[in-house]
Amino acid sequence: MKRYSLVIIAVLGGLVGRAQTNTPGALPAPHAPTLINSESADFDLNGHQGIYHRHVRVDDPQMKLTCEQLVAEMPQAGGRPNHIVAETNVVIDFTDTKGQTNHATGDKAVYVYSEQDGVTNKTVTLTGNPQMENAQGTQAGDVIILDLANNRLHFDNPHMIFRQSLNGVTGDTNSPSVKTNLPPGTIQNIDRIITQ
Amino acid sequence: MNAKVNIIRVSLAAGAGLLFAVALGVRAQPNGLQHANNFTSTEYYGPTNQQQIKSILSGAEALPQPGGLLIIKQLKLEMFNPDGRLEWVVNAPECVYDTFKGVANSPGHLEVRTGDGKFRTEGDGFLWRQSEQLLTISNNACSVIENGATMNIKP
Repeated sequence: MKRYSLVIIAVLGGLVGRAQTNTPGALPAPHAPTLINSESADFDLNGHQGIYHRHVRVDDPQMKLTCEQLVAEMPQAGGRPNHIVAETNVVIDFTDTKGQTNHATGDKAVYVYSEQDGVTNKTVTLTGNPQMENAQGTQAGDVIILDLANNRLHFDNPHMIFRQSLNGVTGDTNSPSVKTNLPPGTIQNIDRIITQ
Repeated sequence: MNAKVNIIRVSLAAGAGLLFAVALGVRAQPNGLQHANNFTSTEYYGPTNQQQIKSILSGAEALPQPGGLLIIKQLKLEMFNPDGRLEWVVNAPECVYDTFKGVANSPGHLEVRTGDGKFRTEGDGFLWRQSEQLLTISNNACSVIENGATMNIKP
C-alpha cells in the first residue's frame, strides 16, 4: 500500500489570492547593490535598456537569480530599475524572514517596481510552470507572485506536489512527483505534515 | 602631413554624432586625420538649445590609422540630458573608431555608468554603434545596480 505524505508548505499562509499589493508609505530598505553578470550584453543607452545574454546571474543580498536572458530597464539618473524580465530556465533562490531558503523555478520572471501616491509596488511574477520548493515541500501554481513590498507570496491556482514515500519513510524521496489541485481554501494556513 | 595637435577643442555643429565625435572634427582637417594629445571635444544640442552641452569627449591620445580609423587612448565620454544633467559616463583605456562607419570597438575593457553612479556596467570587448547609441559588450559583462530589488519574503 502506497503511502503518501502531503507536505504543506509553511509559506502558504496568506498565499492564496492576489490582494495586498500596496503598502502606503513603505520605504525601501537600504541594502547592498545588485550585481548582474552574463557572458555578453547589449545596451541601448538612448532607451535605457540592457539585455544580458547567456549564463545570466543576478546576485542580490537576499536573492540569487539565474537565467539565459535578462532584459532590464536601466534607471534614469536618480532613479532605479522599474522593469526586469528574466527568461529561459529561471531559477530564484531567496531566504525568507524566518531564515528559510526557498528555491523557485519557472520559464519567465518579471520584476516590476513602481511608486504612485506614496504607494510602492514591487513584485516578481513567475510564470511558465512555476514551482517553489523549500524544506517543507514543493508548491506550484499557474502564477507565483513574490510581493516584495508587502513581503508576501501569492499563488494563482495553487496546487501541492505529493511525494511518494518508500519503505514507510515519509518526507522527501526521489519518487516521481504527483500533482493535485486542491481547492485553495483547504490548504490555506495549514502548517503541518499530514501522513496518510 | 600629420600635424601634431596638443590640445583640440572643437564645438561640433548640431546633428553631429555623439560618441567619438572628435573624430569627425579631426577628419575635417586637411590631409586627413591628425594626431592629437589630451584632446577634448564638446558637442552642443541643436538650434533650440544651442548653449546646452550634449557630450564631452576627451582622450589622452588619438592616433590616425589608414582607412579612416582612429585609435583613441584613455577615452572618456560624458553625455548630458537637454536639462544639463549628466546621464552617462563612458571610460575605455583604448579603442578603435571607424570615422566612416561611425562605430568603435575594442577587445579591451570598458566601463559605463550613469551620471549619479547608481548603475554601472563593465566588460571586456565592445562594439559601439554611434548612430543608434547601441553598445555591445562581448565578454564578462557585469553590472552593478544600487538600490536594487529587495527580497524579504514573509512566510
